[in-house]
Amino acid sequence: MKIRVKAFARFREILGSDLAIEVPDGATMAAVLAALRDRAGDESDAIFDEAGALRTHVVLMRNGKRVKRDDSDALADGDEVALFPPVAGG
Amino acid sequence: MLTEQERERYARQILLFGEEGQERLKKAKVFIAGAGGLGCPIALYLAVAGVGEIRLVDRDTVDRTNLNRQVLHWEKDLGMPKVRSAEAKLREANPDIRIKAVATTIDETNARDMVTGADLIVDAMDNFPTRYLLNREALRSGVPLIHGAIRGFDGQVATIVPGRTACLECIFPEAPPAEVFPVVGTTPGIIGLIQANEAIKYITGAGDLLAGRLLIWDGLAATLETFTVEPRPDCPVCGGEMRP
Repeated sequence: MKIRVKAFARFREILGSDLAIEVPDGATMAAVLAALRDRAGDESDAIFDEAGALRTHVVLMRNGKRVKRDDSDALADGDEVALFPPVAGG
Repeated sequence: MLTEQERERYARQILLFGEEGQERLKKAKVFIAGAGGLGCPIALYLAVAGVGEIRLVDRDTVDRTNLNRQVLHWEKDLGMPKVRSAEAKLREANPDIRIKAVATTIDETNARDMVTGADLIVDAMDNFPTRYLLNREALRSGVPLIHGAIRGFDGQVATIVPGRTACLECIFPEAPPAEVFPVVGTTPGIIGLIQANEAIKYITGAGDLLAGRLLIWDGLAATLETFTVEPRPDCPVCGGEMRP
């Protein structure tokens, strides 16, 4: 099935904007994040930690609502996942 | 009551929200936390809109590296406390309002005093620890908090209404890493004005607030999106508890 991924700010520069990734039916967020980690390659440490987990301050959304990085719900074909690095400056 | 001078000064916005809306602005007390990249445009636009009392708090002095974005501070102000520099410009821009400028670090010992009697808290800070403190103070007092933050060409805004929306720690449970952030002045200009616009809407009762929504501005892509943010039942600060 196809999952749309929208990345913002620095993440858009690393991953590209509005990408579609293919995951097996019944896959969870973990499969999407693994695909994104591969895609980010050398620049993945901006998004993922040493253990390969999504950095804890990153905001992760599924269909416009916040979800946890270890969300175990199965995704559905056409779902939209958004990744956003919060900023802290003023 | 508005004076004749005020009716004239605000004539074009009285067309929008009436003398009643203008009276509400005149009665409003807004605490702006920070007089930097975000605080400068927020304070300037709220001042010229006629917000009756602006409490502006910042601990820093004006440095030359501030001048690319902190538009109330000019070359002649180098070395001056930011709140003094800002206060001077705001008084010239609108002599009909009160400016309370305080040069201090916002911390646990004084945050409560700054919020007492205020109708709104506007977050124009540059760090998350102080933002979390403002969030706790907003929850304690029930005073709404308009959050904004920027980096580079990017920014975010959310309006937090205690008891009605997700709090700042529901939205951002983990602070982004601290850094010397890159920034071009247009970014805090855009984000600060979205925050000021939220403040004017909240005070006058116009429109729909960014309550329960997170707005994300991506300046390089020139896109602006909002996402629903819900209270987290496991939030250590608000517990995700909403008023019935």
